[in-house]
Amino acid sequence: MPPALEASGVTKRFGAVVALNDARLTVGRGEVHALLGANGCGKSTLCKIIAGTVARDDGEIRVAGEARALASPRAAEAAGIALYYQELSLVPQLTVAENVFLGHEPRGFGGFVDETTLNDRTDLLIGRFAGVAGEGFTARTRVSDLSPDQRQITEILKVLARKPRLIIFDEATAALDRRQVDVFFSIMKDLRAEGISSIFISHRLDEVFRVADRITVMRNGATVADFATAETTPEAIVREMVGDVRLGPKGGTAAPAEAAEIRLSVEGVTGGRLQGVSFAARRGEILGLGGLQGQGQKRLLAGLFGADPFTGGRVLLDGEPVAPRRPADAIAAGFGLVSGDRARDAAFPGRSILENAAMASLVRDKARLILLGPLRSRFSRTLSGLKTRYAGLNAPIGSLSGGNQQKIFIARWLAARPSVLLLDDPTKGIDLGAKADFFAIVRALAGTGATILIYSSEDADLLSLCHRVLVFNGGRITADLTGSTLDAMALTRAAYGEAA
Amino acid sequence: MDRLIQILKDPLLIAALAILVLLGAGELLSPGFARGDQIVRLLTVAAILGIVAAGQNLVVLGGREGIDLSVGAVISLGAVIAGNVMSGNDAAILPAVAAAAGAGFLVGIVNGLGVTVVRIPPLVMTLGMMGVLQGALVVLSRGVPSGNAAPALMAFVNQPFVLGIPGILFVWAAIAVLMAFVLRRTAFGWSIYAIGSNERAAVLTGLAAGRIRTILYGLSGLFAGVTGVCVIGYTGNSFISVGDQYVLPSVIAVVIGGTSLAGGSGSYTGTILGAIALVLLQSVLTTLQMEFWSRQVIFGATLLVLMLLYGRQARLRV
Repeated sequence: MPPALEASGVTKRFGAVVALNDARLTVGRGEVHALLGANGCGKSTLCKIIAGTVARDDGEIRVAGEARALASPRAAEAAGIALYYQELSLVPQLTVAENVFLGHEPRGFGGFVDETTLNDRTDLLIGRFAGVAGEGFTARTRVSDLSPDQRQITEILKVLARKPRLIIFDEATAALDRRQVDVFFSIMKDLRAEGISSIFISHRLDEVFRVADRITVMRNGATVADFATAETTPEAIVREMVGDVRLGPKGGTAAPAEAAEIRLSVEGVTGGRLQGVSFAARRGEILGLGGLQGQGQKRLLAGLFGADPFTGGRVLLDGEPVAPRRPADAIAAGFGLVSGDRARDAAFPGRSILENAAMASLVRDKARLILLGPLRSRFSRTLSGLKTRYAGLNAPIGSLSGGNQQKIFIARWLAARPSVLLLDDPTKGIDLGAKADFFAIVRALAGTGATILIYSSEDADLLSLCHRVLVFNGGRITADLTGSTLDAMALTRAAYGEAA
Repeated sequence: MDRLIQILKDPLLIAALAILVLLGAGELLSPGFARGDQIVRLLTVAAILGIVAAGQNLVVLGGREGIDLSVGAVISLGAVIAGNVMSGNDAAILPAVAAAAGAGFLVGIVNGLGVTVVRIPPLVMTLGMMGVLQGALVVLSRGVPSGNAAPALMAFVNQPFVLGIPGILFVWAAIAVLMAFVLRRTAFGWSIYAIGSNERAAVLTGLAAGRIRTILYGLSGLFAGVTGVCVIGYTGNSFISVGDQYVLPSVIAVVIGGTSLAGGSGSYTGTILGAIALVLLQSVLTTLQMEFWSRQVIFGATLLVLMLLYGRQARLRV
């Protein structure tokens, strides 16, 4: 019998960035298959291709032996592939049955929804989880009345109602507590017994070793190893994930002395995923926020910047408490933020380079009149110092490449002289040359005494830029790597929750 | 070639060409149409539209589907207030202007708070405000507005003031200079474009988007209130729906002038040309003896055709 899924030679480029280059994955029938790799290794892209949300450039994918294009999510669904969302996608006002069959409601006479069939089928599905479903959980229960465990089961029912042959669980256990994880794993074992295959992505190696039958490791867009779980060890997996790392030039600035004063002190902050995060950063320090994606790093930056205020804990800047409720407060206190999602968070499309560059300092200086001459000469000096290629300050921001745009947005903050600059995945989608320039700018800024906090979806960025890296896992800091302990191996192990 | 097409697609150039074509057409249909005193007459009418369109322009530039449909009712309100304050008395002109402008500003601030704090869509908020004001005007005046314009105000709007040009055109010129200065040379002006082109980025840059947008609605109300004073100066006395005819044209003038209804791009210079072109169009259609409702059809169609032409660039790209 052919395997449930067989992908080979899958490639995908996004502009100049090669996301996948010869990715392979074979998932047997009724097999739980873990897909592992460091940030940016391409495992998410591969899953999106299998789920039909991203089109591949090249390569072959066979589902149960049959070659499939998987050109759309609908095509993937027709091929029996389902995606389990970690973000709850339920509509609280609807019943369990209405959620489970949302968009696929059984139709009766005249094309109206056949409620009896809808509820009967849902009750049948719920019956499969009788052991873990708990009290008051029927097809007619409103989702808003369910416990968190029951909602999680409803999400799985939603997937199962599509009668899939293969389910992709992307970080499915990330938001669950220990007991919920146990429930989840017992469900996965049930699915396995029914011959349904799973692709399991997790940031916890111990979970992978508990539940997976096989493990595929990816690195730099390619598949590098495929193990039977019983025949390998966590150490071997981490070694494959890290590989033979080659880094960009390591830091141009020395780490700040132990004696350098503490600039930013974060004490037990909570909110969203953050479960009480504490650390201190010195003047001139470039501090990385590492770990796998979605472990609370972005939430920390949003909280510090006042875009999404913390729900608890406190923050001291130069010894003074700061509690920004909105970005304007944080900016007034001396924070700046450069986001990698330029179109969403930074760009004023259709406006000139000068307007895009000057806005933060106009706000910071509480400017009223605009003295165009001095402003122009100031920014043309700054931008040429950043090696920015641009046609002129009046050219629209959209005329620049991603890397040059990002230089404009860091120039925006350089001009406002921040004492803490927050970088949220700032090198996303920019080429290597611009990235090196960008790093040089950041190092120079740190050299003037500014404190830099950087989150990057690429571990290599953190390794080549940071003096110190805090590793996040499940909303907590699980490792503090610096100096001799800061290398790719340690970073990956810590990200996956392995003791160093 | 691309560059030539780029230039030809400039809304300012298109509006200027439209003005010339309409002038030529008017002269052909009715010799004397483009005579000096006729043009001054047309510009006077355009000035009234241009002043209310200045506020409309600001609200549209501020983005988030910004539009002010209450300007018509605010013009009526301004005209009624000014007429009552003046009651034909020259000495009371300035208090009348202040009262009409102040009332308009307050109405606009309420619109702005509804849009920013309560997050009512601008179309609904200002449409609701229009209904409230229209009703209130009828109730308070019992359908028969009292008050009339002071003679000096009528002379200022209708009679030559300096060099054969009525005073209202100097007021319009001053507003034009002020608008250009604010939009191009003040941090407030730049922040209007910023919140209009990407509100999230503007907030992350430290701009108080809600406060700025509330002020824009306030200014739109203020300009509409002042327009009410001009209208009563133009006609001599007010009636309670005198402003209604300005709502659609104020939006069309802004769009003809190249301001994107998506916000964040455009200029008042364009809106001035748009107001002039629109008044010319109206005049040519009147010369053709087209009745009021047929002209409404042409106006509405003009707006829709413009949206069709410019709509493709409404979603700005980075």
